[in-house]
Parts: sequence; structure tokens; C-alpha cells
Amino acid sequence: MPEDLNWAIGGEAGDGIDSTGKIFAQALSRAGRHVFTSKDFASRIRGGYTAYKVRTAVDRVESVVDRLDILIALTERTIHENEDELHEDSVVIYDGERSTMQDVEVPHGATALEVPLKRLAEDAGGAIMLNVVALGAACEVTNFPIENLDESLQKRFGDKGEAIVENNKTAARKGQEYVQEEFETDDFGYDLETTDADYVLLNGDEAIGMGALAAGCRFYAGYPITPATDIMEYLTGRIDQFGGKVVQAEDELAAINMALGAARAGARSMTATSGPGIDLMTETFGLVATSETPLVICDVMRSGPSTGMPTKQEQGDLDMTLYGGHGEIPRFVVAPTNISECFWKTVEAFNLAEKYQTPVFLVSDLALAVTEQTFSPDTFDMDEVEVERGKVVDEDEVDAWLDEQGRFQAHFATADGVSPRAFPGTTDGAHMTTGLEHDELGRRTEDTDVRIEQVDKRQRKVDTAREQEEFDYREFGDPDADTLVISWGSNEGAMREGLDLLAEEGHDVRFISVPYIFPRPDLTEEVQAAEDVIVVECNATGQFADVIEHDVLERVDRINKYNGVRFKADELAADVKEHLAGDAGTQEVEAE
Amino acid sequence: MSSDVRFTDFKSDKQPTWCPGCGDFGTMNGMMKALAETGNDPDNTFVVAGIGCSGKIGTYMHSYALHGVHGRALPVGIGVKMANPDLEVMVAGGDGDGYSIGAGHFIHAVRRNVDMSYVVMDNRIYGLTKGQASPTSRKDFETATTPEGPKQPPVNPKALALASGATFIAQSFSSNSQRHAEIVQQAIEHDGFGFVNVYSPCVTFNDVDTYDYFRDTIVDLAETDHDADNRDQAKDKILESDKEYMGVLYQDEDSVPFEEREGVEGSMAEIPDGAPEGAMDLVREFY
Ligand SMILES: Cc1ncc(C[n+]2csc(CCOP(=O)(O)OP(=O)(O)O)c2C)c(N)n1
Ligand code: SF4
Repeated sequence: MPEDLNWAIGGEAGDGIDSTGKIFAQALSRAGRHVFTSKDFASRIRGGYTAYKVRTAVDRVESVVDRLDILIALTERTIHENEDELHEDSVVIYDGERSTMQDVEVPHGATALEVPLKRLAEDAGGAIMLNVVALGAACEVTNFPIENLDESLQKRFGDKGEAIVENNKTAARKGQEYVQEEFETDDFGYDLETTDADYVLLNGDEAIGMGALAAGCRFYAGYPITPATDIMEYLTGRIDQFGGKVVQAEDELAAINMALGAARAGARSMTATSGPGIDLMTETFGLVATSETPLVICDVMRSGPSTGMPTKQEQGDLDMTLYGGHGEIPRFVVAPTNISECFWKTVEAFNLAEKYQTPVFLVSDLALAVTEQTFSPDTFDMDEVEVERGKVVDEDEVDAWLDEQGRFQAHFATADGVSPRAFPGTTDGAHMTTGLEHDELGRRTEDTDVRIEQVDKRQRKVDTAREQEEFDYREFGDPDADTLVISWGSNEGAMREGLDLLAEEGHDVRFISVPYIFPRPDLTEEVQAAEDVIVVECNATGQFADVIEHDVLERVDRINKYNGVRFKADELAADVKEHLAGDAGTQEVEAE
Repeated sequence: MSSDVRFTDFKSDKQPTWCPGCGDFGTMNGMMKALAETGNDPDNTFVVAGIGCSGKIGTYMHSYALHGVHGRALPVGIGVKMANPDLEVMVAGGDGDGYSIGAGHFIHAVRRNVDMSYVVMDNRIYGLTKGQASPTSRKDFETATTPEGPKQPPVNPKALALASGATFIAQSFSSNSQRHAEIVQQAIEHDGFGFVNVYSPCVTFNDVDTYDYFRDTIVDLAETDHDADNRDQAKDKILESDKEYMGVLYQDEDSVPFEEREGVEGSMAEIPDGAPEGAMDLVREFY
């Protein structure tokens, strides 16, 4: 038996798939097991196949694989959708008494475990609890102590009253007892061991929201869009505790402009959206940059172009965040590579924004946004959070920045490119700023020398940041390997695990995961040191591969996935192997 | 706030490049007078301006100010006020800026009722782009892009505002400087979104909606028995498409600003040096 277990519940949207999956994931996390979840969902509210998948192990898990061990199928379609991932040791739990499930055939020699979910739920107090009956059955099949479910049930149903919680506990036990009585559970061979470890379970959007609060974000304006909405929902209600506010704007144009206004008033401010919303915000990127306003703009990418596949994975907006907007816009583009980085890079994004008074793009993707993963709580050690506000001047310091006529020089062309910043309300700090080209006082100008001075000044911030900050990468695998794999964003987890699979087969690989898109680390040496360089990303054209080629003036190979599904570890390892084999093939031919 | 603030303190040292005689001179002077009159000074005032001849106003005034992109001044103003309710926020722009490209923001800003004032310099034309039809241009007003007129009725911004739940709707005329300053002052003093549509003639591109036209037609509500408290009366006046009024058309005395309803207290600029106290509780929620 493998050390990890892959579990899923699937059915129709509206069947409570998400909350049931989450109850199980939380129970596992509380029982000291690592968890990594993923979701298959369609862009509709009711109807349509949807699944919540949980991978769990005692050791850390960083990705999904192409294998399902336990499947709770509320519909027949669930079995078809997951057919290829089932194997002879899989167990499929379903309600054989349901009219639509009577002719179900379970493929690949997997065990069909018929449990009368609905009937048992009714016995426990209501058919609605049939998912929880299935959870109880799953506990028995996997030898997972059912008490672990109780706290999750409490958390989920506590608001609805103790009676509901108790009924759910009973429902779970009915599922458990039924399996005990009707089947030889030892035969399944699954054993979900518990540990004393303490974990928290959260997804990428929640980590970004939490990072924003930790960093002192006080104003958030946004317009709902999948998969960024969870950030807004997380902040709503919580930000108020810290004296802040979330405003649901009428559209993304308003959202980014409200966020800009709040930032000018001195608040740490942010907006988040996904592809179509980023398009609408684009005109304002330049205004943020020329008015030198610190602003965090988060793009949680999904499949494009246009409305594309709103509930599917893609990393297709890199060019947009890197180059979007007319004219030339100094900016930072930071892309977390895993969920804990969603937290830390958000904190960093606020610091970069204020230190350099620029737009900072925080680029995440759907796979990070909807994936929940376990972490030790000290991964998010709040004592480690640093807040750097840059060159803010108060009424005592403002004098140093007044010109001979007593006017505040908000765009003073300093050596490092960063000017003093006076929050409105500061005595003698009054000044105007504009998206038009302006002089040091913020007044519109078309003077050729001033134009050059101001363009250079704004651009200088990026050079200063390159000197002062470390735009580095994370490295895994064998540092001396001939094969170098480079990726950005959420692919890190799958590739990390892929490394182990490749090593088992004798392929040593060096893996570099890059969280900084601009400025980014110079990878020239690393690329030149390797024989094979492969850039892995979830898009069709290889946008990150393009920038690497541009930097190092050398061709690189590409692995691109753009069917809407994130990379899986085993599949990615196979892709890398195939690339190497392909290469070896050509070399052999050449040798002959 | 010093009581000895004069309206000229709100003037920047930049000379306006408006055409001589442009209505925007009078509009701006009235705004500066109203700000001084209401006890504000440049350091506690934030002016957000749109794009257009009208939008240049931010450059000619002295205060904290932002001159943004076309049509988006209102959201910027809302963000400023939400982040620091202690500031006096005034938003200004043209009829194209506010009722065309920014029309969506206009109705939502009205609905939201954040405590700020919004002054629209309505010249019934696009001035800065040299004379095309604007959303308030007359149906038969001939321009380079509408040689036979726009062939569609003008937008009635005051009706839009009323329908969107406005708590303050006023109309003003830039050349009647005394009244204009008073009306803007009332908008500033209103607890909520103070909307003022100002007839601010374009002497270069609009030879129909001229000073003479407005002077001859405008009726000062102060000289009638109009009751601004009365929404029905306001509605009737606002829907009279052939009449031009000056004064406060409608004011809801019970208006409570959005930021007050939302419980925003004081500036959001101050934050701790590190994560806020008790931040580990945010992590614990995920157990
Ligand atoms: C997105 C965008 N589209 C078009 C323009 C060009 N533009 C500048 S001002 C303006 C019209 C302004 O008209 P109005 O608001 O009535 O102001 P006025 O100049 O008449 O005072 C236009 C279309 C622009 N700056 N931005
Ligand atoms: S073009 Fe019209 S609106 Fe613009 S400055 Fe001249 S008169 Fe004023």
C-alpha cells in the first residue's frame, strides 16, 4: 500500500460535496495528518459534476496524483469521471438502493461497497445527512477513528444547534456500523494512522487575505470573480476588527480606483480579481505608477482568454501583469509558488508597494486559490511579519522637502527614485498628482527635460529595488544535475514530488521554482550549466519560458499544460522523462 | 483648521489654460470660496478631478489632489473618504467624464452616499477633444461627429440622481458667482453625497448653450416657493426638460453618510510596525 491515501467525494453541484469534503479534510488535519485538497468543479451552481479530493499522508504532501483509493460516488457519473484513477485496491462507496445507481459497474477490479446512504441517514434523522453517513463508512474502510469527525461536524453544524450536530454524529456512526456488519473491512488494507501534530488547514485565497491583514491592509475594494472572490469574502468581516473596510465596487474599474484613492489617503490598500477584471483595470495601472501610489493588485489567474473556463486552472496572465497597460510602467510582479508563500508574498507585496511607491502585482492561480493544505501554525508566525512603510514624512519632516516657495515636492527626483510621501492631512504637505506627466511638484508638464527626469526617476526605483531586495529563487533536487527544470506559481508542489519519482528511476534533476517574475533572478549561469533546460507552466505558449530565453539568450524546452487541470506529480514526472528521452533520441540520431 | 483661510489659499500658482471666458473659471472660484467658507484648508482637503477641460481644475487648485483617468474620479474620491473620513473630499469633472464614460460610477456613488461633494461642469459638449457631442448635448446639436445632431435625447443627470436615491441634488450656474458659491457650500455641508450640476459654458465649441441662453432662461429656486424637502416637488422640477433651475432641488435632511453607517472611524493610515496584536488568532481559526 502507498503511504498516502487519495480520497474523493463526487456528485452534482448542490449536493454538499464541498462541505462534506471539507469536514473530512479538517478531521484528518486535526488528527495530525497532512492534507492536500483539490476540487473539480464546473461553472454552475446546481447540477453538473463536482468533486472534492483529499490526499493525505503522515508526511507532507504537496500535490495531487493520478490515483484514487477511496471514492464516495453520489452519482454514477462520478465513477465515470474518475474511472482512470481507480485501481484494484480502490473502494467505491455508493448507495446501491438509489434507482439511478442500480446498474453501477465499478471498473478496474475496484471494490464496490454498497451502503444504503439515504436509508441510514433517514434513520439518523434526515436524508440530507447521507453524505455524512458516507463519511462514517469511509472512516471504517480506512480504519480512521470516527471521533475525529466529531469536531469537524461541530464546526460545520454548530450554528444550527446541538440537535443537528448530534444527528450528524449518529449518521456517521450508522455508516460506520453498517460497513462493520456487512463487510470484512480488514481486507481493504487501509489504515489512516493519527499523530500528535498540530496543523492548520487553509487555501491560497485565505492565505492571501490573512497576509493582507497581517501586513496592515485596511482597505480592500473588489468586484466578485472566480477564483478571487474568496479573498474578498475572507476579508469582509475580519478587516473591520482592525479598523479597515471592504467595499464591493460596481466593477473592477471602480475597484482599482477606490483602492488607489484609499492608498493616497495613506491606507495600505489592495484589490484582487481574475483575468477579465485585470483587463478592466489596465488603464489605471499607469495612473498608479505615475502618481507613485503604493497599491497591491492581485490577479488570481484562471483559464482565458475572454471568459474562457472560469473554474479551471491556467497561468496565462503572466504577459498581462508583466506588460499590461499603455506606455511603460515600472512595477513589481510577485508570484507565490505555494500556499504559505501566498501569505508571505502578500506581506512582501505591501512592503514593496510602500517602499517604492509603485503598483505591485501579486499573481496567484486557481490551483493555489482553491487548494487547501495543512501547515504547522508557526509557518505563519506573526512575529516574523515586518511592516516597512518607506519614505513617509510627517509634519516635522515635511520641511526638508519643500521648495523655496514652500511647496511640497511629492515627486522629487531623488537618487534612489523614491520620493517623500505625505499623507493628506499633513500640514504643508498639500500637493497635486496626476497621471499626466508632471514635474516634481506634481504639476502637468510637457517639458522635454522634466519628462526624461521623471521617467528616469520612476524607473530608478526598480534599479534600487534590484540592489536592496533579494529577488531569488527556491531550489530542490540535485544541484549538480544535467537536467534543469524551471517553473513558477503553483507547479512547484507537483514538480517537487515529481523529482522523487524521477530519482527513483535514476533521473537526477535540478529544480528551480521562481516566485519573482519582475524583477526576477538572473538564471543565466544556471541555464548554461545545464544540458537540458525545461520550463514548466500551465499555459499554451510558454510565457515564462519566453522571458527566460530573453534573459539568457538561449533556447529552452517547454512543458505546457492548458487543458484546465493543474499538473499532477506523476504525470509531470512522466512528461519530464519523455522530454529527456526525446532529447536522447535526437542526440543518438545525430551521433550515428 | 485655521479660521483665517482665504479662498485664494486654494489657488495654485499654475495659470489656467482655459479659453478666456470659459465657464470653468467661475465654477472653480465658487468651489474655492465654498471650501474656505466651510472652514477647510488645503491640508485637510482632497480634490479629485476627472479628465477634460473641466478636469484640469485639480491642477489650478491647491490642496491634496489627484487628477486621474477619464471617468473614474468618483471611485477615487470614495476610496479617499473611506480611508480618511476626516478629510474634506471634493470631486470635479465634466459632463462627458461623469455622465458618459463614468455614468456607471455616478449612479453608484449617488446610491452609496459617501459624504463628499461632486461638482460637474456641464457645458453640454466635449471641450478638451475639441467639440464632439456630449451626453447632455441637445438632440439636434450639430458637431463634427454628429453632423445632424446626436438624434437621441440628452441624459438628465438630476433625474438619474433622484432615481438612484440621491440625498442632495442641486443645479448651479458658474456666472452667477454668489449663488454658485452658496450652492456648492450647501453641497459640502450636506451629510452625504452632495451633487451639483453646474452650467459652465464652453465659449469655444458650444454656441447654443451660451451665457446668454442660461441667463435668459434660468430660474432661481430661491425666488420660488420650491420646497427642497419635498421629493415630489423636486421630481416635477427635475423632469421639466424645457426649464433650467438654479438652487437646491432636493435635500434629504435625514441622510446618513455611507462611511458612518459602515462604522468607519478616523484615518486608516496608522498601522502597527508588525502584524497587529492578536494576529495569531487569525491562524488559529484554521485549526
Ligand atoms: C479612456 C479615454 N478615452 C478618451 C479620452 C479622451 N478624452 C479626453 S477629455 C474627453 C471628453 C471630456 O469631455 P467633458 O467631460 O465633457 O469635459 P470638458 O472637456 O467638456 O470639460 C475625452 C473623450 C481619454 N482621455 N481617455
Ligand atoms: S474648450 Fe470650452 S470648455 Fe475647454 S477651456 Fe475652452 S471654453 Fe472652456
